Formats: sequence, structure tokens, C-alpha cells
Amino acid sequence: MAQIEQSDGGKKKKGAQKKMSIHVDFTPMVDMNMLLITFFMLCTTMIKSQTLTISLPSNEKVEEQQMNKAKESEAITLILTTERNANGEVKKDDAGRPMNVVYYYEGMPEIADANGDGLIDNNKLKAEKFLGNDGKLQQGIRKILHDRNLQVLSKIEKEKARWRAKEFSPISAINDSIYQARAREIRNDSTLTRPVVIIKATPEASWESLISALDEMQINQISRYQIDNINQVDSALILDFLKKNPKK
Amino acid sequence: MGKVKMKRKSTLIDMTAMSDVTVLLLTFFMLTSTFLQKEPVTVLTPSSVSEQKVPTANLASILVSPEGKIFISIAGDADAETKDTWGSEALRKTILDEAVTLYNKQHPNNQVQLSVAQREAFSKINMFGVPFQVLPQFLSMSQTDQDKFITDMTQKGVGIPINDNKDMEHLNEFQIWMRAIYNSGNENLVKAMKKGEGIAVKADKDTSYDIVHDVLDNLQTLKMNRFSIQTALKTEQD
Repeated sequence: MAQIEQSDGGKKKKGAQKKMSIHVDFTPMVDMNMLLITFFMLCTTMIKSQTLTISLPSNEKVEEQQMNKAKESEAITLILTTERNANGEVKKDDAGRPMNVVYYYEGMPEIADANGDGLIDNNKLKAEKFLGNDGKLQQGIRKILHDRNLQVLSKIEKEKARWRAKEFSPISAINDSIYQARAREIRNDSTLTRPVVIIKATPEASWESLISALDEMQINQISRYQIDNINQVDSALILDFLKKNPKK
Repeated sequence: MGKVKMKRKSTLIDMTAMSDVTVLLLTFFMLTSTFLQKEPVTVLTPSSVSEQKVPTANLASILVSPEGKIFISIAGDADAETKDTWGSEALRKTILDEAVTLYNKQHPNNQVQLSVAQREAFSKINMFGVPFQVLPQFLSMSQTDQDKFITDMTQKGVGIPINDNKDMEHLNEFQIWMRAIYNSGNENLVKAMKKGEGIAVKADKDTSYDIVHDVLDNLQTLKMNRFSIQTALKTEQD
């Protein structure tokens, strides 16, 4: 390959030049290329990171009358927290997952203590975890949100099946955009019962847990959610919950 | 021919094919990859199912270190035509001037003056994060010293100072920078910021919420309510 052979077709003539083969040694070239490859592999990134766009409510004070109040039956509040050890590092469970806890309650919180025993009588707070899917089945907080948004999800599921079969259009770009538009319409369809999710995070909650909560909104096709600041009622509920359900 | 000659075996291995392969690989890596940007701290972003890509142009990204130090990186227009006015280097200079003017207006007794060389140095830095008072000293350092300075998280002069401030008349330093970026005059950047693509917040997944909340709250105060969060990709199964 790397040699040029000067063949003379087998016939030997007198005075013909000696058969010469020019051999180029490519080994140093390969060495250098390998070095360059190593350099590029170490100094570059192949994966472009993704982004998640969020909008926060404005910080300005809103008049009481102008406030959009969520219907009590539709509201579900998630309170995120993360268990940390004494050094402030996130604790991991046996499966290596970070111990992010999601407390949630539906509707309005109740903190009445009629019998005065220091415990809230009717604490609606429950604890869940981010568990993801087990095959097709939703687990943890995803199941709760999934069940609350079932009407929207089942409708979108039907559209999704049509989208997979490319029923909207054989051209995949048009197929995608029609599906997206229809899904958006269903998500914002006010005739369906849709939950309003309020996400609150305690100061020690990890950044990851907030992103996971936002993710659940996307996975469960929830269009109405909001990130809010935690208040005293929420802290009281968590303290009460921990009193009743001490950690093992 | 008749006589069978014993051929002397050569131990030379033909490297041509190998070299072909390596050159191909090299080309592939050169074309597909983008260079790692120098960042003072490495953070592991949380994963999300969102599939939007991070824009490479017209972006102000805010890095929040686990200790709560803030760094900002500015990328300008990628368009070659507008390179002189709004390319990264030109844009950084404009923003620096804007920010320093804003700062000096608010702190008349503690003004910061920058030389031409220092402005030039600023335009070359990808990610910065020092208080205004430290800025002249930081920009006079050599590049290696700058890197050493900014990666030392225990240092007091590292990270853009931030606090809980709702007073629009007296902005904190982080707010001054963000305001300056918004006021840079680069229309594409402003457009991207309004859409929420122009600001990217990057924080470690284990960072506690109260640290990141400071940044989010400051952005809210500046009425930059829409922004994006940098994440890594994961599937719905996890």
C-alpha cells in the first residue's frame, strides 16, 4: 500500500533500473493522530446540555380582588424537601437515589387544634417520593398527579397513538406540530378537570428535587402549576407530620 | 523463475490503513464537538425530560456554585456580520461599561475606574465573578493567576455579591450586571431574554434551594420572570 513498486512486467532488460520500492513509514503519523484524538476527546464536550424554560410570577404585590384564586377542589400543593446529613450532603437511599421527599396535600391546609394536644387534628399532609415509572406503571408522586390529571392524560394518549401512526400527516415535521398543537389544546381545555399544582420547596430541598417536580408537571401534562414560597402553615404541617410519623 | 527463493520476511507493518482510520476519527471529533468552556466550578446539573437545547449565542448564563457564589458568562451574536458590534468580545465590553457606569452612579464615593487594557482583558474572559471593587485588580492579573483566583472558593473576592434586595433604586451587584446585560443594546439578546432563552441558570443538583432561590428571587425583582434552567437529559422511566 504505502510503497510504490516499479514493476517492469517480468521482462528483464539489460541496463534496466533496479527494482525499487519506496516505503513510507506511517507509524509516526499514526502516533501524532492518536495524540490529537486524545486531546480532542479530553477537551471537548459532545453532549449539549438541555434547558427547561420556566416562568415565575412577578414579585409585585397584587391586589386581593385581582388575584386568580385556584379552586380548592383543584388545588394540590407539593412541598419538597431533601434529607441531608450533618455536613449538609444529600442522603442517599439503598438504591442510590437521593432522599428527596415530597409532602403533598389537596385543597386548603387545616391547622386547627381543637383538643389542644399540640397536634393538628386533621393533618392532610402525606409523604411521597420521586420514583419514576416501573415499566408502564406510575409510582410515587407521579401516580398521584397522574390520577389527578387522568382526563387530560387519557385524551392526550389517544392523540399520541395517532401521532405515532403518523395519522395527522406523513411528513414527520407537520405530524409533530399538529400533535403538539392538539396536546396543548387538551392541556388547556377548561371543560376537563385539571389540577392546579403549587410547588413549594423548603430551604434544604435540593435543586434537583425542584427540577424533578417541574419534570413531573411535563410528564403528567399539567399546564397549571406555580412555584411559590413556603409559609408558616406549611412548616407547621411538616413538623406535625414528622411528630406523628417519626423517622425510623 | 524455476528456482524457489526464500523470501525474507519483513517485520514492517503497513500503517497506512491505521492512519486513514485515525484521520477519519480526528475529523469526526473536530466537527462534532464544541470546546469545554472554562468554568470556575464544575457542577452536575440535575436531569430532566426537557429536550430543548441550550443556545450557544446570545446567552447570559448564571452559574451558582454549591457555596452560593455567583458567576456570569456572556455569549454574543454568532452572526459574522454583526461580530464587530455584538460578537461576544464586543458585547462583553459594552456590558462592562454599562455595569461600571451603573455601579459608579450608585456608589459615588467608591468609584471603579478601568483602563483600556483592563477592558480588553475582560472581553477575553468567558466566565467572571468578582465584586466591582476587586475588578481592576482581577483584570490586571495574568490569565493563569485569574484562573487560580477565581477557582478558589474560600477567597472573599470571588463570586458576584448577591443579597435579598427588592429596592429598584439601589440594586445589588448581581442585579447591576443583569440590568447591564439587558441594557446592552443587542436586540437579539434582549429578544432571547424576553422569551426566556437568553438567561440560563446552572446549579448543582445537590445545592440547596435557598441558595438558588436568591438568584431566582433577584431575577424576579428585575422582572426577568422567564428564564431557563440547564439540565441533563433523562428518560421518563427514571
